[in-house]
Amino acid sequence: MYVLHSLWDTEAFYIWAESSALPLVNQGYSVSSEGIPAHPFSLPGKELKTQISRAFHLNGAKTRALILRIPSGKNGPLPSPWLLREDYISQKPAGLIECAVDVLALAPDLAAKFLLDLPIHPLKGVVYADSMRFWSRLALYSLELVAKEQFVPAVRERYSLWKAVMDETDLERLDRFSKAMPPSCQALRLFPTDKSSPKDLARSFVDGMADSLVRGSLEQLTLLPPKRGRRPRVIPLPQQFLLSLTSKDPTLEASTEEVAAFAKKMNSWISELEPKAVSVPFRTCFRLQAPAEEETWRLSFFLQAKDDRSLMVPAGEVWRTKSDALTLLKKSIKNPQEQLLADLGRAARLFPQLEKSLETARPAELEMETTEAYSFLRQSAPLLEQNGFGVMLPTWWQRPGTRLGVKLQLRDAPRKEGNAGSAFFGLNSVVEYDWQLSLGDYVISREEFAQLSHLKIPLIQIRGEWMELRPQDIEAAIDFFHKNRNHEMTLAEALHLGLNPAGHPLPEAKTTLPVHGFEAEGKIKEMLSALSDPSGHMKQLSSPLDFQGTLRPYQLRGVSWLMYLNRLGLGACLADDMGLGKTIELIAFLLHERETMKGPGPTLLICPMSVAGNWEREIERFAPGLKVLMHHGLGRLSGQDFEKAAEKADVVITTYSLAQRDEEELNAVSWGHIVLDEAQSIKNQSARQTQSIKRLKATQKIALTGTPVENRLSELWSIMDFLNPGYLGSFESFRRDFVLPIERYNNRAHSEALRSLIQPFVLRRLKTDTTVIKDLPEKTEMKVGYNLTPEQASLYAAVVEDMLSRIESSEGMKRRGQILAALTKLKQICNHPALFLQDGSPLEGRSGKLSRLEEMLDEAISVGDRALIFTQFAGMGAMLRHQLQEKLGVEVLFLHGKTSRKQREEMIQRFQQGSSPIFILSLKAGGFGLNLTAANHVFHFDRWWNPAVENQATDRAFRIGQKKNVFVHKFVCAGTLEERIDQMIEQKKALAESVIGTGEAWLTELSDDSLRELLVLRQEAVSNGSDSSDRSDRK
Amino acid sequence: MSPYWSYYEPAKPKKVENGLKAKSKRGCIGETWWSKRWVKTLESFNLGARLTRGKSYARKGQVISIDVNPGIVRARVQGTGSEPYDVVIKLKPLSDAEWDKAASTMASKAVFAARLLGGEMPQNIEEAFSESGLSLFPSKGRDLKTDCSCPDWSNPCKHIAAVYYLLAEQFDCDPFLIFKLRGRSKEQIMEAMRKMRSAEAVEEADGISRSSQDAREQFKPLEECLDCYWQGGGELDLLEINPRAPDVKGAVLERLGPSPFYIAGVNLAALLSKAYEKAGKAALQRATGETESKEMQ
Repeated sequence: MYVLHSLWDTEAFYIWAESSALPLVNQGYSVSSEGIPAHPFSLPGKELKTQISRAFHLNGAKTRALILRIPSGKNGPLPSPWLLREDYISQKPAGLIECAVDVLALAPDLAAKFLLDLPIHPLKGVVYADSMRFWSRLALYSLELVAKEQFVPAVRERYSLWKAVMDETDLERLDRFSKAMPPSCQALRLFPTDKSSPKDLARSFVDGMADSLVRGSLEQLTLLPPKRGRRPRVIPLPQQFLLSLTSKDPTLEASTEEVAAFAKKMNSWISELEPKAVSVPFRTCFRLQAPAEEETWRLSFFLQAKDDRSLMVPAGEVWRTKSDALTLLKKSIKNPQEQLLADLGRAARLFPQLEKSLETARPAELEMETTEAYSFLRQSAPLLEQNGFGVMLPTWWQRPGTRLGVKLQLRDAPRKEGNAGSAFFGLNSVVEYDWQLSLGDYVISREEFAQLSHLKIPLIQIRGEWMELRPQDIEAAIDFFHKNRNHEMTLAEALHLGLNPAGHPLPEAKTTLPVHGFEAEGKIKEMLSALSDPSGHMKQLSSPLDFQGTLRPYQLRGVSWLMYLNRLGLGACLADDMGLGKTIELIAFLLHERETMKGPGPTLLICPMSVAGNWEREIERFAPGLKVLMHHGLGRLSGQDFEKAAEKADVVITTYSLAQRDEEELNAVSWGHIVLDEAQSIKNQSARQTQSIKRLKATQKIALTGTPVENRLSELWSIMDFLNPGYLGSFESFRRDFVLPIERYNNRAHSEALRSLIQPFVLRRLKTDTTVIKDLPEKTEMKVGYNLTPEQASLYAAVVEDMLSRIESSEGMKRRGQILAALTKLKQICNHPALFLQDGSPLEGRSGKLSRLEEMLDEAISVGDRALIFTQFAGMGAMLRHQLQEKLGVEVLFLHGKTSRKQREEMIQRFQQGSSPIFILSLKAGGFGLNLTAANHVFHFDRWWNPAVENQATDRAFRIGQKKNVFVHKFVCAGTLEERIDQMIEQKKALAESVIGTGEAWLTELSDDSLRELLVLRQEAVSNGSDSSDRSDRK
Repeated sequence: MSPYWSYYEPAKPKKVENGLKAKSKRGCIGETWWSKRWVKTLESFNLGARLTRGKSYARKGQVISIDVNPGIVRARVQGTGSEPYDVVIKLKPLSDAEWDKAASTMASKAVFAARLLGGEMPQNIEEAFSESGLSLFPSKGRDLKTDCSCPDWSNPCKHIAAVYYLLAEQFDCDPFLIFKLRGRSKEQIMEAMRKMRSAEAVEEADGISRSSQDAREQFKPLEECLDCYWQGGGELDLLEINPRAPDVKGAVLERLGPSPFYIAGVNLAALLSKAYEKAGKAALQRATGETESKEMQ
């Protein structure tokens, strides 16, 4: 993996990378000419070019060496916290060391391109250090300034440049950015820390980005007026200046004095934009008052204290001051009259009507006509504000409710013949509505509107209140008239309008007019209020009669919610945290539906291969009445046979890869539901598998996932597109309206709007929710089912055969030894073939158990959980550490027999603090005295066939003082010894420990036949090929 | 002892290092209305070719120094002779009584003080002076007394014209120089106007609070940041960025007003407006992601 770092030295942008593959300490003599050691694990220049340059399309970036000051320990520079290594235990930095580091040097224009195109989610194997994230956010900030046209040309030395213009709020944001600058940004050895501040450095960067962005977009543009005649030998500076502002070459050709004189004049012209000196405690402020009856608009002038905006001195009072200083609440203004006068003079340029009041000796206010007031509100007020003046406007201005908008009244569409009695709405069902135009709270008739639109005055007074009537709103209203003659919209459109009362513009919304009022009647009213607040309106159901078990209260709420959306015919995403019991919620829901509704049709359940068996067993356990058809493996039904069998079944279980391969068969059945387990599997919307699944039809679709879907927007879109097609618009519009604003720009308004849109369809409860936590036991134990890969299965069968043939002819100690040895081998094979073979072969995709663990850990750490993993095999621990670190990109700790006491203490501390979310412990080495209460998941990767030993391990996470609920996951592969020994332990739990003893020796006392029964591999254990290998044979 | 033919050979002035050069390269000198107004007086003298030569002297940098004092401008100009010539331009300063009259007229309208404080000469200042029966700018030739140590008989000569032009440019930057020439500093004028607005001023000690001085945050020495060396502040993820179209189109140019530069009669500010529109739009497009596609893989 690479960790990308970056630096800015006011002229160029540098990228360097740490690599986990390079040794930590210098081997050999790589010392630069200055006697400065080379950084041992930073990517050398050549590789920067081949790896980084290529991946990010940075042709034109040059490599060079910089000398950086980096925190160091005893043996040289320390890795940054993002670099995951296997040979490293953290050290506290003792000081700084100077190292030569190879970097890619980017000119500002290339840097702008790189940073603005930087993928939000890093490519695989790449991590962004904070410095990289810092500069890329600052580049986006610069982009915002340029988009808002906040830039200005200037002259520096002999060059023309564009720089950013920032008003007070922008500067305040820049200040907050600067405070977030990682100290590593000043790593350059010769960095002039005493002469500049983080804000200066950030500012120079923003200016550099602004120059690149503006210049880059003006390449084809000529600012000069068309020329006549011959080109003069010497081009005057103003002309040169304009030419250079749109070209790559910013140089001005003239004598030094001429350029200096030009620069002085130019820069003094633009100095008007600089925020005024902060040392002046007062500024001039304008307050606009709307007229009461028979009066005119009034703009009054004040001096206003900058740090206490409520402190305002009316101009009249300023003119009456006799001294040359005005003191108010310990703040004094020198020559207040002059300040006010100078300010009024400056302001008059932005608001020419002011001239009128300057004709008097002591101007204190200005009276205005409505049209003048409007131009003040629209044009001058923002300009004055940007120039540092205070502006106080009437409160109705820019309050959303005072614009032209629509009020909607929704009602149910009359049922069409033959459709009566259907309980289903569906998102595409039609809703009728009436609409009226409104201004503020007032409904206006078409006649009134016609009159108003002819007034051509953008400010109007209706029943004593002032409103703005924008020309574009009038056009939108006329457009709305034309488009909405049929008074019908789909339920999806109604939901968009009803669920988003803030009037935030939505993708593909009906109109740009704000929705001022939204009323509904009949069923649609019930439904809207229920959807916007399910908890208040949902009927709480009781546990289905046939359910073999007990549902916790929050699980019953989940079932009720699924039933509710089912009745409405809307897709539902149940996204409860891992461990809360989505599986049994769904099973209870299916039972409930069968108890209360007629002939719901079979349910198609699509899940990863690794959990298919688990589903079958869970349904068998909690709802034995449901008929299950497993549709996988070579012997699966096809064609008409399948169709018939499926129609008779309650639940048909299949896998993602088969859903694509057998799409035709699956489409022949009319499904009551299609349920996706681990629904994040369809996050890649362009994958054929995803597309096949989206083509399947059902009365209602349900998605189950434990990942925080609300944070993974493209995944969310794909799942919603499966559940309720079209509801979130096309992916392109969704990306424009939500993904970019939320993921790239942290826009809260958009994320709020999205949240309210999806909220009716996504139920996500966390372990930490107060309503859930009170229902949860402190310790929840779960069996995690998985399947063996074909490789695992054949190794397993071979070992069992071998052992059985041996023990036939042996007895006593020898027999016991052979049995124990075989048990160990079988455990190893279930863990991973590479553990059994000891051949250091690659790990990926060969162990069903490991894949399942990866999936579950991914889910757990994505919500900030921390996990302990116990294994009996030190070798397995090392493999897990390597694999998990690579796949999950987080630091993984591993405690084993050879870990020193000191390292152990440090690991425990790191885990408890949260620096590493995953801690692997070899069961024997775990020993005692470990206090790992930060964990809320415990995984028993392999089983110690002794509950007492396992419980002791579990208790490490579960101690007094533990505030979290702990979930204990035990891996069990159906059809193998794991399942059968697990069953035996469950059955014998009631017996005293004397039966089982303290070890596994009791197993050796079993008869040959019992052993055969115990160990022999059954068909169900194997997945016939992993999901990925399935895919290939389609072609 | 110059040979006789030197009368016929067009004489070239001696080159001056670091002379005061007029900034404008062609066309008229002086950009603001008041400096133009100043130049107009000179041009009303009908100087003919001397005017053009004076202009070119001003542009070549033949004027070595200019010193403006109440009632008198002294300058040194390098001509064809070996030593620079001394130029004197005299304009009678206004008397205290005349100034008081002018101040009281100006104090009656806030616009005068407002403009002057903003570094601009109020357009109707001449009215304010003429209302009091005065004139701020020289109106007739005899208002100006000029003298030059050059051998040229005609007055004003090209050396005087050169100084006159350069003065115009100096007035561009600092309109108060005209007042200085007429006998009053900026402070004196503002003071007088303030007196007229309120009855009496009481001297008070400098009471400007300096508490809100720009306390700039310096870099913390890297040695003190070992534990947080790599990490950025937590605010980084919270800061919202909101690329959008400007509230007011071309706001920066509106705020700046016309620039001191013209190209073919068009103000530089007007020529820049295209750049704002285009670059702003391009940035907005880029922000809404029309260009990227790599992310979705």
